[in-house]
Amino acid sequence: MKKIAVYGKGGIGKSTIVSNLSAALAERGLRVMQIGCDPKADSTLALRHGEPLPTILETVRRKKDAFALEEITCSGYGGVICAEAGGPVPGLGCAGRGIITALEKLAAKGAYETFQPDVVFYDVLGDVVCGGFSMPMRSGYAEEVLIVTSGENMSIYAAANIAMAIENFKGRGYARLGGLILNRRNVKEEEAKVQTLCGDLQTSIVGMIDRSELVTDAETMKKTVMEAFPDSEMAAVFRELADTVVSRQHAADES
Amino acid sequence: MRQVAGLISTYSSDEFGICSALYELGGMVVMHDASGCNSTYTTHDEPRWYDMDSMIYISAISEMEAIMGDDEKLIRDLTETALEMKPKFVAVVGAPIPYMIGTDLPAIAAMTEQATGIPCMGCGANGMNYYTKGISMALEAVVRRFCTGPAKRTEILSVNVLGATPLDFSLNGSVDSIKDWLRENGMVPGACLAMGSTLEDIAQAGRAHVNLVVSYGGLAAARCLKERYRIPYVVGVPFGEKFSQALAGMLREAAASGQDLVSYRRVGRDRERCRADSPLDRKNPDSPRLSLIGESVFSASLAAAVELDRGISARVLCPLDTEDLLLREGDLQTPEEDDLMARIPETELVAADPMYRVLCGERQRFFSLPHEAFSGRIYDRVNPNLINRKLEVSLC
Repeated sequence: MKKIAVYGKGGIGKSTIVSNLSAALAERGLRVMQIGCDPKADSTLALRHGEPLPTILETVRRKKDAFALEEITCSGYGGVICAEAGGPVPGLGCAGRGIITALEKLAAKGAYETFQPDVVFYDVLGDVVCGGFSMPMRSGYAEEVLIVTSGENMSIYAAANIAMAIENFKGRGYARLGGLILNRRNVKEEEAKVQTLCGDLQTSIVGMIDRSELVTDAETMKKTVMEAFPDSEMAAVFRELADTVVSRQHAADES
Repeated sequence: MRQVAGLISTYSSDEFGICSALYELGGMVVMHDASGCNSTYTTHDEPRWYDMDSMIYISAISEMEAIMGDDEKLIRDLTETALEMKPKFVAVVGAPIPYMIGTDLPAIAAMTEQATGIPCMGCGANGMNYYTKGISMALEAVVRRFCTGPAKRTEILSVNVLGATPLDFSLNGSVDSIKDWLRENGMVPGACLAMGSTLEDIAQAGRAHVNLVVSYGGLAAARCLKERYRIPYVVGVPFGEKFSQALAGMLREAAASGQDLVSYRRVGRDRERCRADSPLDRKNPDSPRLSLIGESVFSASLAAAVELDRGISARVLCPLDTEDLLLREGDLQTPEEDDLMARIPETELVAADPMYRVLCGERQRFFSLPHEAFSGRIYDRVNPNLINRKLEVSLC
């Protein structure tokens, strides 16, 4: 079982990329589980065609422990198992603590043993702003962190911050930094800026995704690019990235 | 009103459960919390505090340390103190603040262990669960960490006692009486988790033939020992005369068959016969006459003992953590004062901690069963030891 956490600045395209990677790996015959770690609960929206899915935290709030795993998961496009942590209403409560509780509850309900996924993606909200948001990279959860970034300065700062958190957690048995995914926003010298960041962080670019209208078109259709435009160049890019992500982690596990 | 205790006391929290379970094992227990009221757990309420040393500390986390997530200070303090005190292990115990800021206690324990070479464990209490969860968490952690080596069975039938703490059994001699009862029945007491046994004794727990689970807090440790050493467990406390005899038989049976048993559920199958034997109960054989309020294993065992010794049908109202497995048909688990108030008047007799008396009607007969986890040491001197003795009028 490969467990990968995907971090990056808010709005950088993490959920879109992760959903397409999930769909691409499902296409390859792998059993994939995607867990949204964001109070907005919109990580798996494209995989479930916009169909509602009760969040883990809302279900816990309503039913305490008296619910089944099936009530907080659903099967999305390609059989991808979808789950959404959810969280407090904006401006109240503690979203970070919510992520911890949601992931613990999912594990306690036997999600990993029941579904036995080959690949698990944790799609994590924005930056590692507090203890709760480091949960997906803790021991027992993801083994590898991928950071999505563009060449925009704010995105690069966020990526550096996330990498610093991973560095700080050295010695705790947390996930390692697996690399960066460049999601192009077509800013000047974009690739060079991200390569410089890679040099600073002693990591590499795992894959590059060009800006494409197909992504927004697919989003409008409430689908992933993999489903809406399977023969497109974008779909091919996601397939290649998915293969790289899984094979890289396989190699890292073996080493 | 839900989730409110307006008339009765509240039970000890998970932090206290952990401290109580680990008290005698020679470890250094550190509650990661602000200083102040935490000392209540280990001084005002801990009955062994005045006669037995134990290394219990508070990290005294400050507001700024919590805000800034200064785990390094905690690790430094743990390392420095552990190297000085040389405990057998270190347990870092959670509390509301680390819970809310998501402190990774197992990671902190691992880093402290790396720095000191002393076994360290993180215990994720949050101060919002009952002591029962804390005992369960602590005893399971001890078993997972220290019961690891190969173990050869003892020659004579030996029995570990799991889940014993003063929070449920006080210091009234009950735990020693359980060990005496085992000896009287030709069995050897093994490790007792966790009263009267050392960490070294507990490390040998895998040598026993069977585990006796005397509270909910011992069940997770029993399951762990079953998984590691295939030791079956029997749930029950040897209260009364006839039930104690039946329980001893079930220990032998489990040791021979390898099957786990919840003793009082088996006796429960004979409840109809029990009622028929009792002239007191024939008036209304379908409804229980006695409500027992308290920890599930303790109370259900006592209910079975009362039925067998006194012929009075009983049911349990359990306000604490438990599993359906640990209750009998007709028993109820609810933490709500409102629910208890609704159910208590259904029986003419009530046996519970004296602080529950306020929920009883004037015509109900009340039997006092002080429960340390509920009323502390207030009723220490009148807390009866009911192990392996005929239940007389003192109770019913």
